[in-house]
Amino acid sequence: MGKRRGKKGEILVENIIFIVLNIAFLAILVIFLVNQGNGATFLEDSYSKQVALLIDSARPGMIIHINFESAKVVSDKNGIPFSEILIINGQYATIRLSEESGKSYHFFNNINIDRADPDKDTNGEYTGFYTLVFSNKNDE
Amino acid sequence: MMNKKGEKLISVYWFAILVIVAAGIVLMVNAYYGNSYDVREVESRVLADKIANCIYFGGKVNPLLLTPQGVFREDFRDLFMERCSLNFSVEGEFTRIPYYTSVEFLSFESLRSQFSIFAGNNNFKSDCNIKVEGNEKLAKCSEKEFYMKTDSGKIYLVKILSIVEKTNENTN
Repeated sequence: MGKRRGKKGEILVENIIFIVLNIAFLAILVIFLVNQGNGATFLEDSYSKQVALLIDSARPGMIIHINFESAKVVSDKNGIPFSEILIINGQYATIRLSEESGKSYHFFNNINIDRADPDKDTNGEYTGFYTLVFSNKNDE
Repeated sequence: MMNKKGEKLISVYWFAILVIVAAGIVLMVNAYYGNSYDVREVESRVLADKIANCIYFGGKVNPLLLTPQGVFREDFRDLFMERCSLNFSVEGEFTRIPYYTSVEFLSFESLRSQFSIFAGNNNFKSDCNIKVEGNEKLAKCSEKEFYMKTDSGKIYLVKILSIVEKTNENTN
């Protein structure tokens, strides 16, 4: 009777350790995957290209709101002010989400960008969006 | 009994499988996230659309393209970049322009070229004719054509070719 109870106990302990190890392994993998997808370099590359393509498609008079919420999470973590993550200089859109990195992408549209500022809510907090206002180059 | 339990729990084979699976996932994830997004095809289509809208928008020909008599204006070709709000200039003294575009106006009846406009770096033109697998290192091309009816009733077939190189920014 005592022996039988011992075997059951062993099986239970083995299974629990096995399951715990599997869960730990999967958790580490999931954390790795999430970190890869939210990495500064990866987001800088995709955001800079998205912004450049949006500018290329823009026409004078347009107002475009761009969602930078994922970038804000990373820039906040890396101590970069949200107001400084998007820089439009000349024909380049640059995204910088950490001190060490930054990615620029060229756009061909010769349009005037009147405003490229982060949006704020009523409390003065950044919402995670940027507003871009376009006008004709000749209207300057 | 103890050995059997130990073998089952901390088995070398089990860890080997874990390591193989983990290495496989890490390699796959790196292959996916490590590659840059290749947006050149979209970019070349956007460029072609922008030029098409500049030439013929809402059923109206750009008034700066034709004289009142319906003749193509040479100054439109000379000031094409300005007229169509394009700027291909890049930073760096030895950086080559990563764009090329050409616009051809063909007569509807004879399909003969009546007027043409070129801009950018025409070294990439040959890349459009190379049809091989794994051609991500070549420039991406986009072609667009449409019919244009002038105020005088003349019809032209407009062919636009737009090319974007930017290989370094879009491939590893």
